[in-house]
Amino acid sequence: MADDNNSEDAVFRIFIKADIQRVWHELTKQGEAQGAVFNAWLHAAGGLRAGTPIQMRTGTGKHVIVDGRIEVFDPPYRFVHTHRFTQFDDPVCRVSYELKPVGDGVEVTLKVLGLPSGTRTARSMSTGGASIMAALKAICETGRPALGTRLTYWLFDHAEFMLPARTKSDHWPLESG
Amino acid sequence: MESDGLDATFFALASDLRRRMIDLLKREGGCNVNRVCEFFSAEVGRHAVMKHLAALERGGLLVTAKDGRDKRLWLDATPLQLIHERWTTEFSAYWPRA
Repeated sequence: MADDNNSEDAVFRIFIKADIQRVWHELTKQGEAQGAVFNAWLHAAGGLRAGTPIQMRTGTGKHVIVDGRIEVFDPPYRFVHTHRFTQFDDPVCRVSYELKPVGDGVEVTLKVLGLPSGTRTARSMSTGGASIMAALKAICETGRPALGTRLTYWLFDHAEFMLPARTKSDHWPLESG
Repeated sequence: MESDGLDATFFALASDLRRRMIDLLKREGGCNVNRVCEFFSAEVGRHAVMKHLAALERGGLLVTAKDGRDKRLWLDATPLQLIHERWTTEFSAYWPRA
């Protein structure tokens, strides 16, 4: 947990009535859009394990939204990675997904740790966490995100040209080690 | 029609004091219980604050974590997002008729 005045944490928790493997798959799948995470595609410079660099890219692969490195990969319970938005100069923070079987479903806790206070990263993650959890629940329980979320994703796809040039994948090589 | 599971959330929201607690937690995420008691000390005592916090937690609007001897509190806006999606998106078609 953040312990100074320059960083803060955000915590989100939700119960999802679905199999834990189904929820884990939605958060770690590659080769297709992650509807729970703003329809971004997870790319990795190798197998999904601690130490592997990862990125969340647009569907075309032309832009990198998030650059990071896996710190913990413990299927289907815990996935922790560093997180940096490529369009901001903010310090790196840490994203943690914890899955716990509860009754006939899964309790998912998303922690964003060490958010640099007052930055655009902090603002984006403080609000984005709720969107991720709501979309994850909708996808795992109904098969797809809510209508408003699908409309937002449609807009994302058609507004990719508006992303800053600094987010182009050419500037963010995904290399192992 | 299947339950949307939001009864506890709407109950938590049905109190002016608890809505103001949500405002406080939004501004000061990660604060402890003492901070909430101090902020509302002119209106309610510690026992009442604890009851209100419990209602917020049952409604999914509050996440707590032990931090040594302290208990830290965070607003979790996920239920608000679900309400937005369930009610705003689904019923927005009615607004233009108003």
